[in-house]
Amino acid sequence: MDFASLAVQLNAGTIVPEAIVLITLMTVVVSDLIIGRQASAQWTPYIAIAGLLASVVALFYQWDVANPISFIGEFNGDALSVVFRGIIALSAATTILMSIRYVIQSGTSLAEFITILLTATLGGMFLSGSDELVAVYVSLETLSISSYLLTGYTKRDPRSNEAALKYLLIGASSSAIFLYGASLLYGLSGGETRLSTISASIASAGLAQSIGLVIALVFAIAGIAFKIAAVPFHQWTPDVYEGSPTPVVAFLSVGSKAAGFALAIRLLVTAFPLVSEQWQLVMTTLAILSMVLGNVVALAQTSMKRLLAYSSIGQAGFVMIGLILGTDAGYSSMVFYLMVYLFMNLGAFTCIILFTLRTGTDQISEYAGLYQKDPLLTLALSVCLLSLGGIPPLAGFFGKLYLFWAGWQAGAYPLVILGLVTSVISIYYYIRVVKMMVVKEPQEMSDSVKNYPPTDWTLPGMRPLQVGLVSALIATSLAGIFSNPLFTLANDSVLKTPMLQQALGRSKAPIAKQMAPTISQQLSLQITEVSTKKAVSLPKSMVHS
Amino acid sequence: MLSTLIWFPVLGAIAIAALPLRQSKLVALTMSGFVLLWTLWIAHQFDFTNPLLQRQEYLPWLEPLGLNYQLGIDGLSLPLLMLNSLLTWIAIYSSQEETERPRLFYSLILLVSGAVAGAFLAQNLLLFFLFYEVELVPFYLLISIWGGEKRNYAAMKFLLYTALSGALILVAFLGLVWLRGADSFAYEALMGQSLPLWIQIVLLSLVLVGFGIKIPLVPLHTWLPDTYVAASTPVAILLGGVLAKLGAYGIFRFGLGLFPDAWATLAPGLATWATVSVLYGATVAIAQKDIKRMVAYSSIGHMGYILLGGAALTALSLVGAITQMVAHGLILAILFHLVGVVEAKVGTRELDVLNGLMNPIRGLPMVSALLVLGGMASAGIPGLVGFVSEFLVFQGSYSVFPVQTLLCVVGTGLTAVYFVILLNRTCFGKLDNAIAYFPQVEWRERVPALILALTIFFLGIQPTWLVRWSESTAIEMVAATPTVTHSPIAQVSD
Amino acid sequence: MNLAEGVQIVSFGILAAMMLGAAIGVVLLENIVYSAFLLGGVFISIAGIYLLLNADFVAAAQVLIYVGAVNVLILFAIMLVNKRQDFQPLRRGWIRKAATAVVCAGIFALLSTMIVSTPWAISTATPAGDASVVVIGLHFFSDFLLPFELASVLLLMALIGAVVLARREFLPDDEADRAQVEALRLPERPRELVPSGRDETVN
Repeated sequence: MDFASLAVQLNAGTIVPEAIVLITLMTVVVSDLIIGRQASAQWTPYIAIAGLLASVVALFYQWDVANPISFIGEFNGDALSVVFRGIIALSAATTILMSIRYVIQSGTSLAEFITILLTATLGGMFLSGSDELVAVYVSLETLSISSYLLTGYTKRDPRSNEAALKYLLIGASSSAIFLYGASLLYGLSGGETRLSTISASIASAGLAQSIGLVIALVFAIAGIAFKIAAVPFHQWTPDVYEGSPTPVVAFLSVGSKAAGFALAIRLLVTAFPLVSEQWQLVMTTLAILSMVLGNVVALAQTSMKRLLAYSSIGQAGFVMIGLILGTDAGYSSMVFYLMVYLFMNLGAFTCIILFTLRTGTDQISEYAGLYQKDPLLTLALSVCLLSLGGIPPLAGFFGKLYLFWAGWQAGAYPLVILGLVTSVISIYYYIRVVKMMVVKEPQEMSDSVKNYPPTDWTLPGMRPLQVGLVSALIATSLAGIFSNPLFTLANDSVLKTPMLQQALGRSKAPIAKQMAPTISQQLSLQITEVSTKKAVSLPKSMVHS
Repeated sequence: MLSTLIWFPVLGAIAIAALPLRQSKLVALTMSGFVLLWTLWIAHQFDFTNPLLQRQEYLPWLEPLGLNYQLGIDGLSLPLLMLNSLLTWIAIYSSQEETERPRLFYSLILLVSGAVAGAFLAQNLLLFFLFYEVELVPFYLLISIWGGEKRNYAAMKFLLYTALSGALILVAFLGLVWLRGADSFAYEALMGQSLPLWIQIVLLSLVLVGFGIKIPLVPLHTWLPDTYVAASTPVAILLGGVLAKLGAYGIFRFGLGLFPDAWATLAPGLATWATVSVLYGATVAIAQKDIKRMVAYSSIGHMGYILLGGAALTALSLVGAITQMVAHGLILAILFHLVGVVEAKVGTRELDVLNGLMNPIRGLPMVSALLVLGGMASAGIPGLVGFVSEFLVFQGSYSVFPVQTLLCVVGTGLTAVYFVILLNRTCFGKLDNAIAYFPQVEWRERVPALILALTIFFLGIQPTWLVRWSESTAIEMVAATPTVTHSPIAQVSD
Repeated sequence: MNLAEGVQIVSFGILAAMMLGAAIGVVLLENIVYSAFLLGGVFISIAGIYLLLNADFVAAAQVLIYVGAVNVLILFAIMLVNKRQDFQPLRRGWIRKAATAVVCAGIFALLSTMIVSTPWAISTATPAGDASVVVIGLHFFSDFLLPFELASVLLLMALIGAVVLARREFLPDDEADRAQVEALRLPERPRELVPSGRDETVN
């Protein structure tokens, strides 16, 4: 194998966005070493944001790439992965915007924070496209270990230490379980590690109904569910969210979760089509538990970060509805919801960071009467929370509507009804915060708000926070009303992704034919049988002619 | 054209909230005044003979979801639109000059008004649902910031009930569109009777319970007394005058309009339900000691007539039901306004404390006189608008549901009973010197009541002006529905 | 059965017994230093089993990394953390132990059933034997290039992270008192404290 043919096979053009992130990362590290900590704090965040945005632009050019398979099957840069990588990169960029002031004020060094965050982003982006078990595991670990480090970044705070330790222990054991599942897959398929060939090999070895496959599935789901914080793999969430620096929480709840969902789609759809009924059953259970527990326990919270922790568990449950359905509309509604979730959740975190920085607390009761002192913050936080609760005409309403609509079309009536009921419950605790801020009389104002310092946007790091706040506010209020481009993006990302189209049994796209792997006759028959059942239930509107 | 009715108030709301204007009440009043004039102009252009949608507007929006921007008016929505515009103006006018946080208050009121107009205009189920949910949070804030005691509890109760009602309605809409195999939520595309009867009945029940919370009908009404009593006067006017009508409108438009077969099947049950509502509201109202609570309960009773008229489904009863919506909106508004004035001047709403307000020198003669008028209108005294609509409902329903109609007539009698109690206690009798010498009633407080009283009186003696809008639409709706009388179940129940 | 197979079976038996015995010792012994040393024994036994499977590179890596690095690190950690504290025996602690034992036995039964009952597709390719290092290297630079390179990023980041966590923070003198209190902590006050007016540390 000579170098030239190897270079062609590698097809390294697909990972240009990641390469940009990597270059940015190295630039940040090196420039921090050269110009010193004080000076670098003024520049590195903006370099990082520019790099991440450049990476998003590069992703834009990856949209219609002819051959998305690269690194000899290691990485699959299909449209779905492009969307997820974009979500992760954007969430990292926003996280950096909100972290500058926070990190400066907590007295830690900024460049290292950004380095680790960028590494986590890199891991997440690779995870979204990894098409092979080793690559999946290494990128998963890159994401996880960076997250552990970020969680414990305020190292003199016992809460942060506790959070990091808890996250590390539970995370390490869950990734060990995931690894065990992956090794079972390797064994069952007779030494295959590429996701797309695993299921074919297992089917041809006649192990489609073996107990080993089910155990591999359960173990893999345990690893994924840990990342997306689905009940009952959520125990780490509240403590970690409470004890970590808030920007880290923002990244964990959006970027890391999006990566987990990307992994879930790819792994479950390509490696486990033989047990699709089982995984749908397991995921349905997880979704129900997440929606119920996340939204109900959130009712009792007094700390804003814990509230958002439980709400994010509930939100993960909503997103999982889209995953379970196994229809075009299901996947694209899931992608759409994640895009919307990016804006509203990061917006909410920006707001609570701003409040924390000024008052030093995140107790919900301390928000009382904020309306009088800081109308902008009140407006932005109210809009983001109401959007999370699904109040029209904000973005979250359309996200939920699309999810429920897709769910209803696929016949998942109980799930949709449960989703609606838990949404109503969620409105209660979101509006409780809004009530705290808006409704309280001046005399009921909390001490923190009474002593609220005047806003000084000129302090270092405040301007980016303001930019993040305003853009999240605008995006959350308008992304729903003008959501046609996002809808199209989400739909196209599903329609252009060969792996999903194959799984749905409608591999009409020419790309799909080109690279259809050798699936045994029996298997493809089986898949079509399963998916035609669902394809019947697709409405005309969802099938783009 | 029609969009102006939605977007003008919304823009006004944003302007008031965003710009540092001093005279936010004046701005809001101008805005809503303009909207009122615009509504009247649209009404002036309205074609009475055309039963179908007029002035349709269409703008493609979210095609994949089947959600498009479709507006239109017909004889069902136009009277309610006028009611909405009028009551918004009245509510803003009657609000106190020294309202706290005026910018937020007026912008929320305008926002609500725009959203309600949107819901009346929407010809796409999802668009309707969107507008229906939009008013949720503004109303929550309006109740919980500017309300009376127990406002937090009442506001939260209102919020949760309404959110639940929204969820039920959404399930019904999703179910309808999915089962019909339609790719759009457009209203016109969904009319027709192609679904099996039992599915129609299930979906209709969801719609009925969903909107029944909003109206409210009896077992679903528990939020109403708390909310109406806790809300401040302008908000109570909007809640009772407009928002409850949104529920009734929803039942007619989306229950009767989309599931005519199921409606015909369930009609006897609906009539009975309406009767229970009427009798319950009236009986409980008699027992109240708080005049605002009494008016609130009276509202439950009066909303029952609307359902009765709809259930009977003769052209006459349907016209009666639509006019009853308007009439009840006007009457409830004047009553809430006057009760608010009495509370502001006397300082109490307790029946046991109030006495002799008719006293020409030291009492509140004008307010009392108007209160008497309002009470009479509500009790259905001929010559006032309440009589017209109730008479139409009873006249139209008697041939179909004689028993239920007669019971409802008894309910009207009970209405007279509790209004006599109310008026007797508050207006007549000897004024207690201990609490006399009330503050002067300002013109600001009189004008809304006078306008409403004139409207009530005028429409009472000139009912054509009220009825003619909806006549052809009502006939058309009745024609589109299998007749209730011929359905076997209806005959059995007779 | 020829001599080679006999030797293999006997060595497997010895290694397995060593490994199980050492592993049970790790869990059951009270003294943590013994446990750490026994853990080294477990790792070495596993390396022996790898050797039996013709995986000499993995065996060497196992000894180098787990025994040479991980286990030594654990011993260092035990020695540096010089904390003498007697564990309070939990009341009804046996319930937890019993529950753990039941769960573990259940998982063991499940997994061993699965392993025995599954007809594994065993690779027919000849083992690389001594050339395994070369084969692995080829894989690293062809079809496993991406994870290999990504692992280098992971290591770099782990390095930086370790420095961040371990270094002594330089705090300027003039602000020392103030900064000692607040630096490197979350801006949020702990929940237990009653909120007490303005927080001086802010801005």
